[in-house]
Amino acid sequence: MKLSVRERLEDQGISVKEDHISVLEKRWQAIEQMKVQTKDASLADYDISLRNIPGGDHIE
Amino acid sequence: MSKELIAKSVEELAPLIKNKEVSSLELTKAVLDHAESQNESINAYISFTRKQAEETAKQMDKELSAGNYRGMYHGIPMAIKDNLYFKNEVTTMASNIHKDFVSDYDATIISKMREAGIVFTGKLNMHEYAWGITTNNPHYGACRNPWDLEKIPGGSSGGSGAAVAADMSVASLGTDTAGSIRIPSSACGIVGLKPTHGRVSKYGCFPLSWSLDHIGPMTKTVKDAAGLLEIIAGFDPNDPTSVNAPVDRYVEKLTGNVKNLVIGVNEEYFFNNVDAEVEKLVRAGIQALVDQGAKVKEVSIPALRHAEYAEMITILTEAATIHHKNLQERPEDFGDDIRLLFELGELPSAVDYLQAQQLRRQIKLDFQKAFEEVDVLIAPTLPIIAPKIGEDLADLNGQKVDLIDHIIRFTGPGNLTGLPALTVPCGLVNGMPAGLQIIGNVLEEGTVLNAGYAFEQTNPMKGRKPGFASSLQG
Repeated sequence: MKLSVRERLEDQGISVKEDHISVLEKRWQAIEQMKVQTKDASLADYDISLRNIPGGDHIE
Repeated sequence: MSKELIAKSVEELAPLIKNKEVSSLELTKAVLDHAESQNESINAYISFTRKQAEETAKQMDKELSAGNYRGMYHGIPMAIKDNLYFKNEVTTMASNIHKDFVSDYDATIISKMREAGIVFTGKLNMHEYAWGITTNNPHYGACRNPWDLEKIPGGSSGGSGAAVAADMSVASLGTDTAGSIRIPSSACGIVGLKPTHGRVSKYGCFPLSWSLDHIGPMTKTVKDAAGLLEIIAGFDPNDPTSVNAPVDRYVEKLTGNVKNLVIGVNEEYFFNNVDAEVEKLVRAGIQALVDQGAKVKEVSIPALRHAEYAEMITILTEAATIHHKNLQERPEDFGDDIRLLFELGELPSAVDYLQAQQLRRQIKLDFQKAFEEVDVLIAPTLPIIAPKIGEDLADLNGQKVDLIDHIIRFTGPGNLTGLPALTVPCGLVNGMPAGLQIIGNVLEEGTVLNAGYAFEQTNPMKGRKPGFASSLQG
């Protein structure tokens, strides 16, 4: 079962403004369409730069 | 005299102050008198700090008399975007929620600017929490573009752009997460530099999106930007993203010599779907550098096709995370536009976010490959011209397009990659300024600034100033 935008936000404790619902649905749909265009990216080839830096923020 | 004085750049004012032809106090009073009288129209300032400013200016004059000259920015009055912390002063983030927030410390860059002798005249308007590009602020009012008071100054650093363009601040700073230095700089016809990510400390700047935020100069000239960057750049252990690398003498690097500079042009992304008049100005700008001995090479950056998605997912998610608690507990205290963006930012999954970071790495590597062949990339800063205040759509070659989606198209990649990017005014389209963007390799601010300086010397604006400001001169 696919949850609506409203249900997904309410699950996270967020009360959505009524007149935002249709705009949010439209904008989320546009983002999902953009995501489809990333399917050709070979993500497995790309390590990401989130780093686990021992000892704090900088190694000095 | 005072109208002529406040129209000058820092590079023009610095020798006048150093040689005691003009005092910091005289200049500070002139800038504040002008700014206070014009703020009702432009609304660039959220608050003024005249008393402290005049005290600091007197102190700077006293030091100079004692033979202590701190450098180019000694005694220069400047207003600052209201998301940078000043110890024991209110910093609002142009929001309702933080309207009474008082920091107990200075942002690192504010400390550095105090040490450089800068005089702070007040806090500047911005898009609420820096999450937008219009500076149409629901709590502090819309900031207006000095070139046309009915139009947006861009954002989120719209107050900084408008204040510098209208001579209400000699120079300023902006913060940039998807283009928030370069968008208002381009829209207001001034110079704006987003440095390399980590080059300038963000400690004491209220975040919008940790991995995309930058702070940089917004100034009247490229040399002013170079001088300000020298002051604010440098390693800061308090900022987890700070880069420990030596700071260049950026002003000294401004030779204006671009002979054999290799300019990369990416047609597929950066010249696709651009206002035809903006495109003409940018191509003419490239030619002006070629006329001085630069070379042009077309480059391919295939992963840019994923840039808009990666930028959107990253900024939406990080911003929603920062404001998550207030979105749950007091959503009505946010402006309607940013509340919607925070709601939208709650929708992507963790996998969406991390895949966006993978795409981001792909984009970074493609840029690095391009920089093996070229010294800089040149592109339009914005594909459109600033629209009227309150409009969600912009005109693009006769078509109405979504404003926010399009205005960040050419600036967003600089945030995703963290590469330095400068905008320099390149002319007017229907009386409104356009910007030429110069993107450089990592930590190559010197190269970027020098290319911008060489272009600026060709006088692309032909001395034109906003009608609003020029009508006040005399």
